[in-house]
Amino acid sequence: MRSVGVVIILGVAIALSISMLIARDAVSNKIDSVRASTGTSITVSPKGFFGFQGGGTPLTNKEIEGIVSLPHVRAVQASLSERLSSSQTNLTSPTPPGFLGQQFDGGNSNTSNSSSGSSTRSGLTPITGGSTPSNTRGFSFATEIRVIGTNSPGTALVGGANGGGTETLTSGKAFNATSTGNVAVVGASLASTNKLKVGSTFTAWGKTITVVGVYNSGSTFANSEILMPLSTVQTLASATNEVTGATVQADNISNVTLVTTEITKDLDSAADVTSTASTVASELAPLNSVQTISTYTLFGAVIGAALILLLSMLMIVRERRREIGVLKALGAPNRSIIAQFIAESTTFTVLGSLVGFLAGIAISSPITSALVNASGGSTSASQGFGGFVHQNGGGFTGGGSGFAPPSGGFAPPSGGFAGGQGFHFGGFRNTLTQLHTSAGWSTLAYAFLFAVVIAVVGSTFATATITRIRPAEVLRSE
Amino acid sequence: MLKVDHLQKSFRTAAGDVHAVVEASFMADSGQLVAIIGASGSGKSTLLSLLGLLDTPDAGSIEINGTELAQLDARGRTKYRAQRVGFIFQAFNLIPNLTALENVKLALEFSNWDKKDRGARALDMLTMVGLDEEKARRRPNRLSGGEQQRVAIARAFAAQPELILADEPTGSLDRQTGQKIVELLRSTASRENTTVLIVTHDEKVAAQADRRFEIEDGVLREID
Repeated sequence: MRSVGVVIILGVAIALSISMLIARDAVSNKIDSVRASTGTSITVSPKGFFGFQGGGTPLTNKEIEGIVSLPHVRAVQASLSERLSSSQTNLTSPTPPGFLGQQFDGGNSNTSNSSSGSSTRSGLTPITGGSTPSNTRGFSFATEIRVIGTNSPGTALVGGANGGGTETLTSGKAFNATSTGNVAVVGASLASTNKLKVGSTFTAWGKTITVVGVYNSGSTFANSEILMPLSTVQTLASATNEVTGATVQADNISNVTLVTTEITKDLDSAADVTSTASTVASELAPLNSVQTISTYTLFGAVIGAALILLLSMLMIVRERRREIGVLKALGAPNRSIIAQFIAESTTFTVLGSLVGFLAGIAISSPITSALVNASGGSTSASQGFGGFVHQNGGGFTGGGSGFAPPSGGFAPPSGGFAGGQGFHFGGFRNTLTQLHTSAGWSTLAYAFLFAVVIAVVGSTFATATITRIRPAEVLRSE
Repeated sequence: MLKVDHLQKSFRTAAGDVHAVVEASFMADSGQLVAIIGASGSGKSTLLSLLGLLDTPDAGSIEINGTELAQLDARGRTKYRAQRVGFIFQAFNLIPNLTALENVKLALEFSNWDKKDRGARALDMLTMVGLDEEKARRRPNRLSGGEQQRVAIARAFAAQPELILADEPTGSLDRQTGQKIVELLRSTASRENTTVLIVTHDEKVAAQADRRFEIEDGVLREID
């Protein structure tokens, strides 16, 4: 009966250890996964720059070179976002003006259509050239075509710069990163509307541009854009040395904060420098605290289990002192008696571990959830990250700082408004509370290790006591 | 042959030194039943512990068949107890979770008796002390006091020791059963050619011994 009691108490302590081990692993995996999904990107935008509304003073090539030379910077993708109005290109945007465009009041529009190439960063512009007004206010509008000059077309084509989804080349090739040629990779929708294919040409800012590739992003909005070499756009749009945004890649997730600080220091007040590191850190704080709690509880439970076994074994040795004395009197060596008690304590540990492991697995999930909820993870989790999902159709990828709304994401029915630079948080679809608890091989290995520690610690003092028992004293007290 | 010469043992207590055994010298032949009588606290149990190498004497020597034992180290004393001495206790001191047969086999295991012969030897010893196979399979709590002492005797003799030390072997038994146990010890000592030394305060038990000694205030002397 006593043995059953010891096994049950030991089982409870080991169950707590196992559940804490599993909770710790689950939280740790979640933290790693969230950190990995945030990536190493840092967004740099001109101060005051706000997406399609423009604003702010563009960055310069020199400033970008300064960023490149900073420690822990792996790569810098610089871009210049410009727009082609109907007077600057022979292309037609595949994106209809939509409801907002139909209601647009031309008197409030921000137009700048000089032939010299200065551009506008608004989303809409009146159609000029004497066309018949199509609305009650006497204006008809066509959506401007967004042109992104980039020095890293490979990166741009995976959604880093153009506000779309994940782009893939469907034909042709990307231009060289250092290209200065009048070449472009165009979105599938734009290509379709204007019957463009690889080798086709179009005009932009009075120059002939050759299509070298066509991409598809799965997003109508992103498929309406043009990617061109950075220096080409700078030259054609009369924006020499200007950069409207950059995406900096740190060499390691752990260096993102450091690099962000260095860039901010380097550019002083010229730019808004943002990364998800600080946001992620605050959102992960509850999980970190759960991790800490589970670690301490784990060690507490293991120590507790060892103490339970230790005290139980001491009690057993004390109760069987006479038996030990008799065995010694009969000529049993210490090692033989110690081996018997170690076998007994190992049996307790093995049975306790079996009970504890099964119970631990059963209770690990609710305990993990309870810990996460108790540390405030549920609120921040669902509201903090659930909203950074980029919706089809472009979405509000925001201004220079890469701001995105807290939940839901602003997704216009069509068209939408793309800013200079934006972040994509597709990797944060899962909420922080959706933890997956499982007992893998590493958990089993740790559980086995802890069981061994418990058995060894639990037996040590008992065996030390055994060696000190003198049969003469035991038998004298008979 | 057992030869004890000028054995002495003292204990240091809070109240001062206690001279448990002041002088003990005697000889006993193999197969003899020797009785030591004495009042409580006279030093007889301490003398038994010294002879069984459960304790180390302060002075003197213990010889069995020409081998000096008193100054053996811990390992040597353990080996001696396992192979050359058998113990019989007043409270039997059988291992409660082992059967009678397993208790006897335990002594054979400690003395490194050939593993394959242990079962047969243990059963033979139990049969010799009057326990059948059915009782040999019982645990101590399902045996009477007399039967438990028989198991203890079988265990003590199993490994063919040269000396059996019995501490009040009849102390927990009724007179009739105690008498049978003494007779059993006497006959077994003779049959196995083993020296049996009984410590008792019972004059009637001592009267059946081949030789009788009395210990008083730690001093041992032979009585007629």
